[in-house]
Amino acid sequence: MLHEVLLIALKDLRVEWRSKVTLGQVAPMGLLVLVVFAFAFDANTRLLELGAGGLFWVAVLFGGTLLIQRAFEVETDDGNFDAFRMSTIRAPSLFLGKSLGIFIQVVLLELVLGPGIVLLYNVRIDDWLLLLAAALGGTLAFSVCGVLWGVMAAGTRVRATLLPLLLVPILAPVLLAGSRAFETAFGVRAEAGWTWASLMFVIAAVHAAVGMGTFGFLLEES
Amino acid sequence: MSPARGNKYMTASPATRVLGVVAVAAALLMALLGLIVSPADVVQGQAVRMLYLHVPSIWIAYGAFVLTAVSSALFLIRSRRREDSGRHHDRLAGAAAEVGVVFAGITLVTGMLWGRVTWGTYWQWDARLTTTVLLFVTYLGYLALRRLPADPMIRGRRSAVMALISIINVPIVHFSVDWWRTLHQKASLSVGRRPEITGEMYWTLLYSTLAVTIVASWLIVHRYRVIRLEELRDEEALNALIASRLREDE
Amino acid sequence: MSEVATVATGWGVTFVIVTTYALWVVGRGKAIGRELGIGEQEELDLGSDSSTSANS
Repeated sequence: MLHEVLLIALKDLRVEWRSKVTLGQVAPMGLLVLVVFAFAFDANTRLLELGAGGLFWVAVLFGGTLLIQRAFEVETDDGNFDAFRMSTIRAPSLFLGKSLGIFIQVVLLELVLGPGIVLLYNVRIDDWLLLLAAALGGTLAFSVCGVLWGVMAAGTRVRATLLPLLLVPILAPVLLAGSRAFETAFGVRAEAGWTWASLMFVIAAVHAAVGMGTFGFLLEES
Repeated sequence: MSPARGNKYMTASPATRVLGVVAVAAALLMALLGLIVSPADVVQGQAVRMLYLHVPSIWIAYGAFVLTAVSSALFLIRSRRREDSGRHHDRLAGAAAEVGVVFAGITLVTGMLWGRVTWGTYWQWDARLTTTVLLFVTYLGYLALRRLPADPMIRGRRSAVMALISIINVPIVHFSVDWWRTLHQKASLSVGRRPEITGEMYWTLLYSTLAVTIVASWLIVHRYRVIRLEELRDEEALNALIASRLREDE
Repeated sequence: MSEVATVATGWGVTFVIVTTYALWVVGRGKAIGRELGIGEQEELDLGSDSSTSANS
């Protein structure tokens, strides 16, 4: 099982390595989003510092949605899901493998966006451990939800518009929890950052369980 | 829940015609009780009359979404056991979700108008309002997914999985939003707490819930039948297409 | 907006939404029924059905 998961994830990362879409296109777009937020808030440094946690996660959501879109386009364009169905790889392994591939790409995106908010929004990091835990939990939750909805929208003609509509309501708690936990880590809010961070791990676990159970149903079609 | 025997293309049957008459009568009596007979509230004044629509609507919305989830689970179980079986569960899921979205929308409209009078503003980031708007958008997405052209079984399975994930998410969304608003700005939330409802208002509310449930049942039954008609039409179109192809081949 | 006007708007909007939806459902059923070749007899029956739904 682990072997299959790694096989799928490595395949996706190799595709990414050759095309360099994440680092070459999505990450710069994420940075642009950060700049545009500064326009929206009239470059008010205090507002940007207070909102940095939330703006980070919104930028991750925008960029991550594009990554998910792409991760499924490379499969459906060549009818790879039919090939998967005929191979011995089981649906739960495929689900976890795709999630791991997305996870690593979103981490790459965050490695660009993180310094972005520190430099552009003048953020101080008070609690590194909380920051890392929240980023890990939020990215895990994002990846598993994203793969679940990604496969659902994949293969439909309207996938580019459908995916965000399906994804954002389900990710709303993750955005909320990620923003609050980051604000605590940045020292602009004294509230239960760790509780918010744990909530994201719970969300990730719930969706991982659902995904492993239902991915087979979704694959039978695309 | 199939239409009357003998005219299979109709959405009406004697039983649902009776249900329709009862629904209209119940709705008219509800308007009479809610708008004229029941008194204005001491604290909320006339605005309390909005709750006779608001509270039953959210109950119907939640009830319909639970019905969607249960039907979807049954559909997945049935269709796994035997290909092409359990499609009535899928239809029921679709019909209930659509009616649920209609009533979630009504909940939002009446809630905002109620808030305008009671809070002085249309929108508060109240936990329940926020949860409801997210629920509304989630099921709009569900309906969008259902509308995509696909093989009925494939579409059924896909939307069934989405219905299950969506219902699992309801407590997560509610919990996190509730937590967000109670950890923060306690005062504004207490404005939104509804005062106790007693006496005539209580009975009016209870009756309104019954009346709205009857209306919603009528809507779900008929929507179910229309979905069945849509499927029949799609099958017929497909068969016609196959027949014309076969003729071309000859 | 006064309290009474707000309440009237809320009830009005609700009744319009539900009635429109009910009419749409029945109308769609009728339209597809006709497409599938439904007889005159059934047409009459559907007519009486839509009149009940118009108010609900």
